[in-house]
Amino acid sequence: MKKIVSLLLGSIVALTLTISAAFSAANEVRVAFFLEWALPNQEDKVKKTFDDALGVPVKWTNFATGGEMTEAMLSGDIDISYSQGLTPFVNAVNAKAPIKLVDIAVIYGMGGTTCVAAKGIDKGNASSKLDGQKVAVPLGTMADYVFKETMRVVGADISKMKVVDMNPEDGSAALVNGDVAMACLFGGTSIGKAKEAGASVLTVAEAQEAGIAGIDITSVTNKFLKENPGMVRTFVEVTHEANTRYNAGKSNMNIIAKDAAMDLAGTKKQMGGFEFPNAATMKSKYMNKGGILMTYLDVMGNMFATSENPALKNYSKVVDTSYLPN
Amino acid sequence: MITGFLTFFIIVAVIGSILYGRRLIKTEKTDTVFGNPERTKGGMHWVVVGTSFLILSWLYYSWDIAKSLYPKSANELCQVAKVNESLLSLKYLFPIEERSHKSTALIKRENINIQKKIVVIQNAQGLKNQDKELFISLLNKTRQTIPLLTNEKYLETKTKTTINELTDRIKQLTVNFPTDSYPQALSEEEENKRIEALKKQLGWGATGMEVPPLPESKKGLKFHTAAQELNEISDEFFSMRNHNPEYLKLLKEIKDEIKEYKNGLDDNQELEMDFIKEIKKLGERIQYESVFPPNALDGMEKAIRTFDGVQKKEQGAIRIKDILLFPAGTIVASGPTCAEDGPGRWLPKPSDTFRIFGDLLKPSVGFKMIPMIWYEMMGVNRIVGFFLPDWIADILPGKYPVHNSDGKVEPNFKSKVLDVVTGEFEAFKIPVPTGHIWDSFLRVFLGLSLGIIFGVPLGIFMGLNRFAKGFFDPLVELYRPVPPLAWAPLVITVFGIDNVGKVFLLFMVSFSIMIISARAGASGTQLSKIHAAHSLGASRRQILREVIFPNSLPEILTGIRVAVGMCWGTLVAAEFLAGTTGIGFVENVARKYMQYEVIWITIFVMGMLGLLFDLTIRKIIDKTIPWRGKG
Repeated sequence: MKKIVSLLLGSIVALTLTISAAFSAANEVRVAFFLEWALPNQEDKVKKTFDDALGVPVKWTNFATGGEMTEAMLSGDIDISYSQGLTPFVNAVNAKAPIKLVDIAVIYGMGGTTCVAAKGIDKGNASSKLDGQKVAVPLGTMADYVFKETMRVVGADISKMKVVDMNPEDGSAALVNGDVAMACLFGGTSIGKAKEAGASVLTVAEAQEAGIAGIDITSVTNKFLKENPGMVRTFVEVTHEANTRYNAGKSNMNIIAKDAAMDLAGTKKQMGGFEFPNAATMKSKYMNKGGILMTYLDVMGNMFATSENPALKNYSKVVDTSYLPN
Repeated sequence: MITGFLTFFIIVAVIGSILYGRRLIKTEKTDTVFGNPERTKGGMHWVVVGTSFLILSWLYYSWDIAKSLYPKSANELCQVAKVNESLLSLKYLFPIEERSHKSTALIKRENINIQKKIVVIQNAQGLKNQDKELFISLLNKTRQTIPLLTNEKYLETKTKTTINELTDRIKQLTVNFPTDSYPQALSEEEENKRIEALKKQLGWGATGMEVPPLPESKKGLKFHTAAQELNEISDEFFSMRNHNPEYLKLLKEIKDEIKEYKNGLDDNQELEMDFIKEIKKLGERIQYESVFPPNALDGMEKAIRTFDGVQKKEQGAIRIKDILLFPAGTIVASGPTCAEDGPGRWLPKPSDTFRIFGDLLKPSVGFKMIPMIWYEMMGVNRIVGFFLPDWIADILPGKYPVHNSDGKVEPNFKSKVLDVVTGEFEAFKIPVPTGHIWDSFLRVFLGLSLGIIFGVPLGIFMGLNRFAKGFFDPLVELYRPVPPLAWAPLVITVFGIDNVGKVFLLFMVSFSIMIISARAGASGTQLSKIHAAHSLGASRRQILREVIFPNSLPEILTGIRVAVGMCWGTLVAAEFLAGTTGIGFVENVARKYMQYEVIWITIFVMGMLGLLFDLTIRKIIDKTIPWRGKG
């Protein structure tokens, strides 16, 4: 009896200690990124420019969705999420996760995230033809946002569709098999495969006209921001240098393509739809009060709010522009 | 409040059960030896203790006990957390929570980095010697900037004064902080504003409000105000750099040299460009950091330590509550908001969980517009149409009606039969269950039943027949060891994302388990029993039905219990992959929106359903094979 009681008490103490000890800082920077999502600073990632610039080793881990990035940040395994979608970020801050937005990684048209409908369904008849049909959507990602916005543009009623929660790879396979009438996806390979069985509901130009654009951002845990503000600034700076180099056409596309696990042509095509604004543009057009990013945060925050995790009243407190290079 | 009562009740129940257990041992027969199954009979009081222990852990680690006993404690801890947060950046500079000064660590690291870079440059291929020399001299100069920052001699009076001022402000705060008059009373207008804002503030754990951030108590206001002041001090400190004229001179020299070199470079000299950029960054890294002479900040460090001690003392009861009632974590602040950190974040409070579960159970709310479990009215015609195969109408003699010249279609007997078998007729409606829980339950039930219906006969057949054993063995043994989820992508491609694919996956799981157990049961029948039945004149069919089947029943029923567990595991994962309904779908979506309460609800529901299945099978076992373990 005494043994049992002491065992139970002992395990309580042990559990308490393990949970507290799980958060100890390591002398490296841990960054999350996506495969199949080619971005200029992957050249620096391969050439170890980041390690040199930060002065400590940088460990890169690839993730499938932005939501998983948040989970890893909360458990203390990731310090910086590079190119996290705005949707998972909004979901995270709605759930009061202690992370902040410090930079815009990339702005992309619907070449990078789009809804592909089966043959015979287009912008004109989507509102009637999608009724009662199944659609594949990776919920809680940028593709989810694009799905909702696209359906608003074509005037289709989401509540009449059956939304199947599928990752892009599965979604494209389901569309090719004919299991779903439409699949909303991100990632070059998945979109390419889906387009064998159909076409985008909105063209890149139409989406742009309707004001649908994707924004990927860089988010950092509050703890890391407090501890190493200099490192965050350097990380953002190196990334901006890579973007400038890409904008000037000087990036080594072979290295980027290889690191993104894509072929050269696909990489060039994907990156053709990307836009990398410089720090001044971000401050004056995107991250200022009433700027594009702030409007997006408000719209998305309300779009994905749930009763437990309602939208924040003011998203400017999760955005910090002070780490952008001057 | 309920939580408080529950906690009290549980503790009483545990103590009562333990006392009862001790008394029971005294009255127990002394002749039962260790290992006698009789010793494990009864023991409901231990079930009470076990369950209570689980619930108590949940209440304690989710901080629900704290919430029910001290609903204001989170708000007070939030104010304390604000102070801690505002001190954080300053504390990181000193060896308070770290092993060394931050600038010590930086200087150590950068000296190593510079040395490394020099070695890299010396061994670099394709660099001209002249460039190498320049790079190394630049790096050496960068190295020389460090002593300029750390030498007391160069420290400017202006910087010294600022440090002293800030230190004095911390000291002043330390003196004022414990007094009753801190913080100074606000003007009436501001005070009214504060009270007005407080009225709108929701309590801890209210929907959408994790921790109320505005200070509610006098003590909370004290910490809140101190945090604001410390933030100002911290900001002012970090906007100051120890950039004395000597340092700036050398820095300018280095930067000019770099600039000059860069201007002389061609576009194709990328290697040189990369090197010079890295050298520049190295210098900037030192430039951005707050590096001071070793003893320049001693006064400040001491002031911070003193303040930290005073504020900890001032916390008083809050600190004890934090240690005792907020195990393995605490409330953290980030800017003006506060959040739970530790198990309070990912382990939802039982009270919240059950409240949200109650909401989800409402058929009008549900999850993603589908109720958790409810009923809908379905016409009997649809059930008939589902069970009767359509070809019944096709094989009837005659032809389906053709439209006549009036443009009408006259139904004949064949078309009427078709209407019946396809369910196109009017009928009364009966309620049928629907919703996420029912869908998952049905899938497991169907997969399991199909597995039993096909697996048990085949297993017994394989246990009795040489051909069957040899023929089916490779087939079964090849697919059985593969984890069922490995089949999932393929099954989804072949059978689609609907129920058929999921049920088939579950069928594959239960099928192999049932074969193995039925086969083991059949081949394990004692030969003497078969001989006895045979000599009493039993036919083969009778031997199979009366001897072999009952003998394999214990194995089969154990197999079913194993299969149920495997089916649940597979189902949830299959619903993760592609789902529109089901508990696995609910959990996966909740995960994406960070609804931890919903995640725990799904886990809870799955546990309950698994328990329900198991209890049912245990009852069946008790009824059908009462002889087990008594032979």
